[in-house]
Amino acid sequence: MVLLCNVPLAHGREFGTARGSSPTLVSPPVTLHFVTWKADHPQAWDEAIRRFEQAHPRIRVNREIAPHSSTAYHDLLTQKLKNRDVSLDLFFMDVIWPAEFAAAGWAFPLDEYFPQNEREKFLPATIASGVYRHHIYGVPSRIDSGMLYYRKDLLEKYGFSPPSTWNELVRQAEAVLEGERTTHPLLRGYSGQFKQYEGLVCGMLEFVGSHNGSFLTEDGRRSNLTAPESLLAVRFVREQIIQRLATPAALTYQEPESLAVFIQGKAVFHRNWPYAWGLANDPRHSKIVGKVGVTTLPRFSGGKSMSALGGWLYGISAYSQHPDEAWAFIEFMTSPALQKYFAIHASLAPSRLALYADPEVLHANPQYKDLLPVFRTARPRPRTPVYPIVSHILQRYFSRVLAFPKTDILEEAQEADRKINRFLALVRDARE
Amino acid sequence: MRENDAMTPSTRDHATGWLMIFPALTFVAVFSLYPAMDSFLLSLYSEFPGSERSFIGFGNYAELFRDPVAHQALIVTLGFVLLSTTLELLLGTGIALVIHERFKGRGWTRAAVLIPWAIPTVVAAQMWRFLLNDQYGAVNAILFGDQVDAYVPWLADPWMAFGAIVLADVWKTSSFAGLLILAGLQVIPDETYDAARIDGATAWQRFWHITFPLLKPALLTALLFRTIDAFRVFDLVFVMTQGGPGDATQVIQFYGYKTLFTEGRVGYGTTISVTVFVALAIFSLFYVRTVGSKLLQREPA
Repeated sequence: MVLLCNVPLAHGREFGTARGSSPTLVSPPVTLHFVTWKADHPQAWDEAIRRFEQAHPRIRVNREIAPHSSTAYHDLLTQKLKNRDVSLDLFFMDVIWPAEFAAAGWAFPLDEYFPQNEREKFLPATIASGVYRHHIYGVPSRIDSGMLYYRKDLLEKYGFSPPSTWNELVRQAEAVLEGERTTHPLLRGYSGQFKQYEGLVCGMLEFVGSHNGSFLTEDGRRSNLTAPESLLAVRFVREQIIQRLATPAALTYQEPESLAVFIQGKAVFHRNWPYAWGLANDPRHSKIVGKVGVTTLPRFSGGKSMSALGGWLYGISAYSQHPDEAWAFIEFMTSPALQKYFAIHASLAPSRLALYADPEVLHANPQYKDLLPVFRTARPRPRTPVYPIVSHILQRYFSRVLAFPKTDILEEAQEADRKINRFLALVRDARE
Repeated sequence: MRENDAMTPSTRDHATGWLMIFPALTFVAVFSLYPAMDSFLLSLYSEFPGSERSFIGFGNYAELFRDPVAHQALIVTLGFVLLSTTLELLLGTGIALVIHERFKGRGWTRAAVLIPWAIPTVVAAQMWRFLLNDQYGAVNAILFGDQVDAYVPWLADPWMAFGAIVLADVWKTSSFAGLLILAGLQVIPDETYDAARIDGATAWQRFWHITFPLLKPALLTALLFRTIDAFRVFDLVFVMTQGGPGDATQVIQFYGYKTLFTEGRVGYGTTISVTVFVALAIFSLFYVRTVGSKLLQREPA
């Protein structure tokens, strides 16, 4: 079967003989309430849950589908948790939430269910994102990290290999656009996510990080946006990406809109998460099937390529009446078999390391072989219970300097620094 | 004894009176007074994820008055109120004058005019977002047709995004203003127009010297409703721009929503709501005291 049974008998309650064994021996059926988001590949999720219910005949999973957007999902979920909604059992946490959920007492600590030897089978960055103050609150369902998609056919035509620096990317894009001007007048150099929303923080982290910059200082105690490396990277995005390679419309793009531009054949380069691979190669959606390449994001000269860590962790509500059954669900969904299923049918990059050596997974996603180093080194966003506040300050800063070309980047960065420092200090004071 | 006798009926009247308004009072107390008081109390505390709730008196209010993001949101909101209400009253008057005339199909026209107002704001906002889309939006298709390279990303520019929100609101609520103004038009007796016509007044003179002055009460009512409503704008921004780009369309209610629901700063978010509530209450009181009382005095004449 799917997994070893490593579930401790938490709370002294009978977890029963579980797993497909005779349902007559165990307690009455349980319905788990799982608040999830609108998935990119809904059929894959229906099938996965069907398999779980088949393996666990006495557990039903009732899904409540929240919006696709991480922030809208967060608002709905935290509202339920603030109200101590006992009907809620399971949820996803974006990698930026565990600190907040743990500090607020919303997430059930999973230390007993999820022992160290099991955690070691996952990519370390994904496990780290679920840990807050020595306890673990989430199990990584997959890993997301930013990557560079490109038009293999166009780069080959002009004799380029995928760019390793941002300046090279700009040069290549301009050469391709110059050559294609008569045949593809609508072709753009770059398509990414620059709307004022959470995704902007991820995208900018990659630019700033690949120039040796960071949002917070190493100890995480102060904001570091006024560092010269960081300012230069932001200026590059404003002048080279927004004003030169992308369309101004990128300021309204989240992932789906920017992906649409790319798969309609209207962009040479595209930044997105792993899920875009499947859609870009799906003839029902894409005009560029078979013409897509994917690689690590470029860096600035002197810097290192940097991917923002994204992804979703399964969590159990602290108010759930059925933590054992909820854990059975999490264990099933994050098992090697199911992660493999999601990798093949939904292009979700596994959080389990061993699957990166699985021939079937690699056959469906040949790019994983080269991208494993990216997954290993993906950079988390600041880890703090006040992350939503920090994120809003960052979003305002980046969106302002990109949308208002005359703003003084240093001044805006100073203002953001001041505000972020204030909230970081408030949380420290509250703790000490 | 005699005193008591004299008192009894009046006491009983009082009791009956209280009894009769009791349901209404309970309703107001439970659904208006209690939430308002509770919000006010919440606004005296500091609370965010990772900290305990602590009493800070008027600290949140002090912060709000110093917060540049709140100031900007307030300016955006006031700009929105000014622009949208002005346009809606102008257009609404036009609509009312048209559908007040007798013509064939007037019933249908009246119904048709109200359609935008009947559509839920969230749906209307989503529709405008599609209409203004940079790739497949109908607005671009109508303006530029096949010249796809001329298509404008309307919501990407700070000023145009602001204009788009105003436009969506004007499209949606002008007819509501028109409806209120139409009610005002209908109480103007036809005889006054007949008399004016006999005196040789032109159409413009009839409008300016009869319609407009007699329409003032209706116009002011529409103004009050639209001002309060516009000040609370939220859904258009939430759906169309999420406050962006660069906070250019962040109105005060959306800022309050972000602090309260996303950031989890319960005290500060509530402070913003309470402040908006108090500002609107003062505005309404001022309005009723000055403009409203003048209107009431004039009515019998």
